Amino acid sequence: MLNKLRLRLRALFFKSKMEDELQAELQFHLEREVEENIVRGMTPEEARHAAIRSFGGVERVKEESRDARGIRLLEELWQDLSYGARMLLKHPGFTLIAVITLALGIGANTAIFSVVNAVLLRSLPYDEPDRLVFLNHGGEGAISYPNFADWRSQNQVFEKIGAYNYGDYNLIGDGEAERLHAAQMSADLFGALRASAALGRVFTNDEDRPGASPVVVLSYALWRRRFGGATNIIGRTLMLNDRGYTVVGVMPQGFSFPAHVEMWIPVGLLSDQETWKVRDAHELLGAVARLKPGVTIEQARADMKNIAAALEKEYPDTNQGRGATVIPLLEKYVRDIRRTLYVLLSAVGFVLLIACANVASLMLARAAGREKEVALRTALGASRWRILRQLLTESLMLALGGGALGLLIAYWGVKSILAISPEGAIPRLTEINIDWTVLLFTAAVSILTGVVFGLAPALQLSRTDVQGALKETTRSATSRQGWLRSGLVVTEIALTLVLLVGAGLLIRSFLRLQQVNPGFDTESSLRFKISLAEGKDSETELNRRINFFNQVREKIAALPGVQSVGLSSGLPLGHNGTGMPFTIVGQPDPPLADTPFMETCIADIDYFETLRIPLVRGRFFSQQDNRSHLKPEELKGKTMLQQRIAGMNAIIIDEELARRYFPDEDPIGRQIRLLRSSDPLASLPLTIVGVVGRVKMEGLRWNSNVVQGYFPFRQVATSSMIFTVRAQVAPEHLIASVRQQVQEVDPNQPIFDISTLEKTRAESVAPERLNLTLLGVFAAVALTLALVGIYGVLSWLVTQRTQEFGVRMALGASAGDVLRLVVGQGMKIVAAGVGLGLAGAVALTRLMKALLFEVSATDPVTFISIGLLLAGAALLACFIPARRATKVDPMMAMRCE
Amino acid sequence: MKQTQTDLLQGTLDLLVLKTLQSGPTHGWDIAQRIQQVSRDVLRVGQGSLYPALHRLEAQGWIASEWGASENNRKAKYYKLTAAGRKQLAAETETWRRFTGAVELILKTS
Repeated sequence: MLNKLRLRLRALFFKSKMEDELQAELQFHLEREVEENIVRGMTPEEARHAAIRSFGGVERVKEESRDARGIRLLEELWQDLSYGARMLLKHPGFTLIAVITLALGIGANTAIFSVVNAVLLRSLPYDEPDRLVFLNHGGEGAISYPNFADWRSQNQVFEKIGAYNYGDYNLIGDGEAERLHAAQMSADLFGALRASAALGRVFTNDEDRPGASPVVVLSYALWRRRFGGATNIIGRTLMLNDRGYTVVGVMPQGFSFPAHVEMWIPVGLLSDQETWKVRDAHELLGAVARLKPGVTIEQARADMKNIAAALEKEYPDTNQGRGATVIPLLEKYVRDIRRTLYVLLSAVGFVLLIACANVASLMLARAAGREKEVALRTALGASRWRILRQLLTESLMLALGGGALGLLIAYWGVKSILAISPEGAIPRLTEINIDWTVLLFTAAVSILTGVVFGLAPALQLSRTDVQGALKETTRSATSRQGWLRSGLVVTEIALTLVLLVGAGLLIRSFLRLQQVNPGFDTESSLRFKISLAEGKDSETELNRRINFFNQVREKIAALPGVQSVGLSSGLPLGHNGTGMPFTIVGQPDPPLADTPFMETCIADIDYFETLRIPLVRGRFFSQQDNRSHLKPEELKGKTMLQQRIAGMNAIIIDEELARRYFPDEDPIGRQIRLLRSSDPLASLPLTIVGVVGRVKMEGLRWNSNVVQGYFPFRQVATSSMIFTVRAQVAPEHLIASVRQQVQEVDPNQPIFDISTLEKTRAESVAPERLNLTLLGVFAAVALTLALVGIYGVLSWLVTQRTQEFGVRMALGASAGDVLRLVVGQGMKIVAAGVGLGLAGAVALTRLMKALLFEVSATDPVTFISIGLLLAGAALLACFIPARRATKVDPMMAMRCE
Repeated sequence: MKQTQTDLLQGTLDLLVLKTLQSGPTHGWDIAQRIQQVSRDVLRVGQGSLYPALHRLEAQGWIASEWGASENNRKAKYYKLTAAGRKQLAAETETWRRFTGAVELILKTS
C-alpha cells in the first residue's frame, strides 16, 4: 500500500523523469525488435519499419501506460482545471456575466438559508434542547400564578418547571436613570434550561418566594454596558424602582431567555401581591419545563390535561375552558415565522433556478462556437467521457466562483436583513450568522448548480459529430440547440412570473394595509413613556402620581411648537391594550364563557384631541373626572388596587361597544361594571360619558372585533404613562426640550420608548414590509435575469438566421415583416412561459395565504397585471434583437455563405 | 496485429506476465518473447497491451522494477515479482484453473 502511494506520488511529482523512463523503456523494446528482425534476415531498414509497424502507435502505448499507473485522474483534473481557466479567461465577458448571475442566485440562497438555519434548523442553545417544552392555556392563553403553582406541584412529568413574564424597572443611581426590561422568572426556569451564571450564581428557590430578600441576576450585556464588566458587582445593591435588589450573578454572554431582557428577578417575590393571587390571569405568565428522562411529550400532555381538568372542576368561575397546552419550546419560537421562511426559501430557490437556466443558455450559445474545438480533441483521441469531464470542470469552476462571490453577497445580505428586521419580526435574530452549516450549504449548492447548468450543454457538446463539425459550419446543431434554449427561457419566464405574482400579491396586501384607517392621526406627533417608581400604597401616592404627570404635561404643553399633549396607558397599534371582562349594569351576568371583553386604556383629558380620535356622542374626559367624589370611609380596609378601582366612576366607550350593547338607545348615562359582579375586584358602576371612534389597537392587520373602553387617568392613576405630543414642528426637534422639562420636575426620572406616531405606525407593519422587501428584491433579480435570458436567446437566433433574413429581404420582405417574424418568435416563447407561470402561480401562491392581507391568493388583478407587465418587458427585450434583424444588409448576408 | 492478443481474456495477460516473471526478473521485450515461445506462437502479446499491463501491475504492487543491463549490455527496465505478486499469481492461477475446468466441463457435457 505504501509502495503504491509512493509510486503514485512519484508519478505525479516526478512526471518528466517518469516520462523519460517510459520513453527509454519503449525505445529499448523497439531496438530489441529491430535486432531480432535483422537476425531473421531483414535489412536494417526493413527491420526498423517492421518493428515500428508491429509496435503500433508509440504515443498510444505511452498514454495507456500512464493510464495504468492510476495517476490519470489527478493529472487530468489538473489539465482540465488549467485548460478550463484558460478558456474562461479567454472570454472574460462571458465568465463575468455567468459568475455574477450565479453569485446572485447562490448569494440569495445562502442569505436566506442562514436565517432558516439559525431560526428553524439549529437547536436552541440549551442542554438537550429537545426535552424542553412551553406550556400555557393554549394559543395566547397566559397562565396565572396560582394555576402555575398547581401545575408545578401536581405534575408527574417534568424534571423542572418554571414560569416567567416581563416587567420593566427603573434603575436609579449609578449614573443616568434608565428603564430596563426584566424577566420575572422562577428559579427553576434556570434549572429547566440548565443555565448557570458566568459570574456568581442564579437565584435559588429560597429567594423565589414572597418575603425573601430581593435579588437580581444581570445579563452579560447589561453588566458590560452599565457596570463596565466589574467583577465586584456581585453583592452590590441596585435600586430598581424604589426597592434595593442584591446582585447575585451575571449570566454568560448569549444567554437570552426570554428574548430582549437585561435582568432576571425572582417571580415568586411578587406572587403575594394582589393581582398575582387571582386565578383569573391578571398577571400573564408563560411556563417552560424540562421533561423527565423517558417521558414523552404525549405523556406530558396527558398528565397536564388531567391536572387542568381537575382545576377546572375546582375553580369553575375562573378556570372554565382553560386547558393546558404543551408544545416543544422551539415550536413556540418558530411557529409564526416558519411559513414566511419557507416562502422566502422557495423564492430564492426560484432565483437560483433562473440563474442556472440563464447560464446554461449562455453556455449553449458558446457551445456552438466550440464544436470545432471539441471535434478536434475527439479526433486526437479524447474520449467522450473525457470531454464531458472537461466541460463539467469548467461549469464547476464557474459555479464555485459564483459561490465565492455569492458568499460575499450573502454576508452583506444577512447584515442587511438584520438591519431592516424590526424587533420581534424574526425570532432568534441574534443567533443568525454564517456558520459552517451555511458554508457547507453554499458549497453543496454551488456544486449542484454547476452540474445543473453545465450538464445539458456539456452532454450536447460531447455528442458533437466529429466529421460534420470539422467539415463545415456550425449549423448542424442549431435547431436542437434552439429548442433547448427556448425551453430554458420558457422555464425562466414561468419561474419569474411565479415570483412576480408572489411579490405582486404582497405589494397589493401592503397597499391595502397602508390604506387601513387606524382611527387616529399619526402626523407630526412625538411619543415617549415615563414610568414612576411605585411607592407605598396610599391615597397620597396616587395623588403624587397624578400631580407628577400633570406637572410634566403642563410644562411640555407650554413649550413653543407644541399643540397639545395627551396622556394614556397605551397607544393604538401598540399591542399593549389590556383585555378586561365587563358586564352591563341592569342586565344579568351572561354565562362565564360568554363574558364580553373590552380592550381598555387609561386616558387623560387631552388624549382624544391630541390623537384626533373623533367624538361621536357625549363628551371627552374633563378635570372633573377625578377622585374627589371618594369619601374617606369608602377606602377603609381596602387594598391599593381596590382603592384605585373605587375611584373610577366614568368611562368612554367606542362606537362598536355602543352599537353592540346599546343598539337602540343612547348609551350616554348608561352604566358598565368591570369584571363580573361576583368578582371581589369588580368595580362600582361606571357611567358612560362619551362615545368615540374605533382605533386599531393591535395593529393595522388585525380586524379585531374586541370593543374598546377608556378610563379617566385622574381616577385610576397608573404609574406608567405614555405622552403623545402633537407638534407644529418636526416632532424629533422636541426630544431634547421634552427631556429637559421632565428632568426639571424630577432629575432621576428616565423617559424611554421615544418615537413618533408615524414610526409607530410604520413599525406596526414592519414584518409585512420585511417580507415585501425581500420577496420584491428576489422578484426584481429574477425579472432582470429572465429578460437578459430572452434577450440573449433572441439575439442568438437572429445571428443564426441573418442569412435567411437577407434572402427574405432580397425577395421583397419589408423591415416590418422581419420585425414581426422575430418578435413573433420571441413572444411565442414568452407566451408559453407566461402561461406555464400563471398555472404554477395559481398552484403555489396558495402557500403564502397567511402572508396576505385582504387579497386573495389568486387575485385576478394581480395575476393579469403581472402577466401583462412581464409580457411587456419581454416584448421590449425581444424588440432590440428584432430591430437588429431588420438592419441586415441582404448583400452582405448572402455573401457570408 | 494478430487477433489473439486482443482476444486475450481480461486478466489473462496479468496472469501470463506474473507467471513469466516467476522464473526470474526480466524486461518487457523478453516477457513478450517468452509468452510467444512458450505458447508456441499461439499467444502474441503486443506492446500496446504489454506495457500498460506492466505499469498497472507495478502500480498495484505485484511487480517491482529497476533499471539494469540487458543481455547485450544496454540499459533496460527489469521487472520482478514482489511477495504480493507471488500471492496474486497463486490466486489467479487457482481462479484460472477453476474457470477453465468449468468451461471444459460444459464443453464435455453439452
